[in-house]
Amino acid sequence: MISAALFKREMKSGWKLLLIFSAVLTMYGVMIVIMFDPKFMDGIDVMIQSMPGLMALFGMGESASSLTHFISNYLYGFLLQVFPLVFILIMANRLIARYVDSGSMAYLLATPIKRLRLALTQLLFLCFCIVLLVAYFTLLIILTGEAMFPGQLEIPQFLLLNLGLLGLLTFYAGLCFFASAVFNETKKSNAVGAGLTIAFLLIQMLSNAGDKFSGLKYATPLTLFDIKGILAGDPGAVIGFLILYAAGIALFIAGTASFIRRDLPI
Amino acid sequence: MSVISVNNITKDYGNSRGVFNISFTVEDGEVMGFLGPNGAGKTTTIRQLMGFIHPDSGSVSINGMDCFTKSHEIQKSLGYLPGEIALMNDMTGMEFIRFIAKMKGLASLERAKELMAYFELDPRVRIKKMSKGMKQKMGIVVAFMQDPAILILDEPSSGLDPLMQNKFIDMILREKKKGKTILMSSHIFEEVEKTCDRVAIIRQGYIVAVDNIARLQKSKRKIFTVELSDRASAAAFAEKTGGTPDGENRVACAVSSDIDSFIKTLAEYPVVDLTARSQTLEEFFLHFYGGEAK
Repeated sequence: MISAALFKREMKSGWKLLLIFSAVLTMYGVMIVIMFDPKFMDGIDVMIQSMPGLMALFGMGESASSLTHFISNYLYGFLLQVFPLVFILIMANRLIARYVDSGSMAYLLATPIKRLRLALTQLLFLCFCIVLLVAYFTLLIILTGEAMFPGQLEIPQFLLLNLGLLGLLTFYAGLCFFASAVFNETKKSNAVGAGLTIAFLLIQMLSNAGDKFSGLKYATPLTLFDIKGILAGDPGAVIGFLILYAAGIALFIAGTASFIRRDLPI
Repeated sequence: MSVISVNNITKDYGNSRGVFNISFTVEDGEVMGFLGPNGAGKTTTIRQLMGFIHPDSGSVSINGMDCFTKSHEIQKSLGYLPGEIALMNDMTGMEFIRFIAKMKGLASLERAKELMAYFELDPRVRIKKMSKGMKQKMGIVVAFMQDPAILILDEPSSGLDPLMQNKFIDMILREKKKGKTILMSSHIFEEVEKTCDRVAIIRQGYIVAVDNIARLQKSKRKIFTVELSDRASAAAFAEKTGGTPDGENRVACAVSSDIDSFIKTLAEYPVVDLTARSQTLEEFFLHFYGGEAK
């Protein structure tokens, strides 16, 4: 179904990038977990009360008394939405648009491998990277949490939160892959992929900023990743991230369909 | 049945760029030259044969299979050299050759190694650091390494030095003996002349002629530039031979088959210098197809 040779080639050229992003996430993840101090939280609460707007902007406006809430607040509210997005943007753009833009797609197509198989291989590689990134981070936080504060992390909720994050990242990946498969130039592919996702993020930040803008949350699909709802076990929040998965997959299909049919300027 | 068959295809990019109502065939075991000035539509035609783009109308097929929908089947027995060499810059030459060999499902790199030795290509170099000539050799190795029955080559010897160009021509002749079907675009006359059975000539998106190479050779001329000792004899010589004087002492004459009589006429004049060169393709068009070429 996929081309093992191509998958291996992408692995060989992409592992450094994956390593760099894993390292950055490791640093932030471990740092935030270490910072958790139940007694110290009162101090943080004071800080939040003193400048509620600024903290809310980054999705950190909730007072967090448990380790699970603390982590979801300070890591999943912003950092884990943005760093993997940058990775996805770079990777998705590399996987199709870069080959078309540089012309080396000609060599990939001058083989007995169908366009559909090429696209599926690249798609699978992108998903593989994202799953690896989320799985690694989940494990890292569980291990660090258990080592520092045994028994304090609510593991089932935390796992569900990561399943939700994976939904959000699948949606990002769908959008970026679609842009990469539809456009002939990396410039356009990047502009559309990055432009849309950054716009969604900004709208989300604004909608967090105060009641005046809270209506804006309906203007960004990122609202479907509802951290508070997931931790509270709200079924609506689960449906929310399932919709993100579905939208991501729909975009994968649309991008692939365009790529296998269209004229390529190579 | 023809191996390669182009049936009345049109691909219109607007501003009269593209190809219009083009038809030709390449038969089994034939070497077909595809000649035309830059921008005439050679690469646009080849892209349709490779299944990179659809024709707006008409059809292209190889071995009876549609070039777009059955591209993966066709590629099993086809070697392709793109006109613009865009390899993967993050690999070394050898890594790239191994990778493409795997993509093509080749069992052995034996032939690739033979080809690299033949063209004196060192594949350990990073592609990013390769010269234009080295990249062209890489493209040739990749196109020929599966020993395919059909070859589509877009400007195969561009970027090669004259020694390598000759080696390339020798190789094409060997492949031809083996019965390969080859379509080769070029704007170098000599290359086409030595290797091709027939030639399709394309200009501004239209096929001007599909001809036997012998007929083209007959119409091909050499340009002699003669420098004479004074302006008066230059003028007289130009009048006698129908050459074009440059206003000084030089006269340019296009001579086809009657070189003997040209030299004998020339002997009667005070010659200071004489240079001879082959016609460029553009000059050839001007002669062969009259005022059509600009």
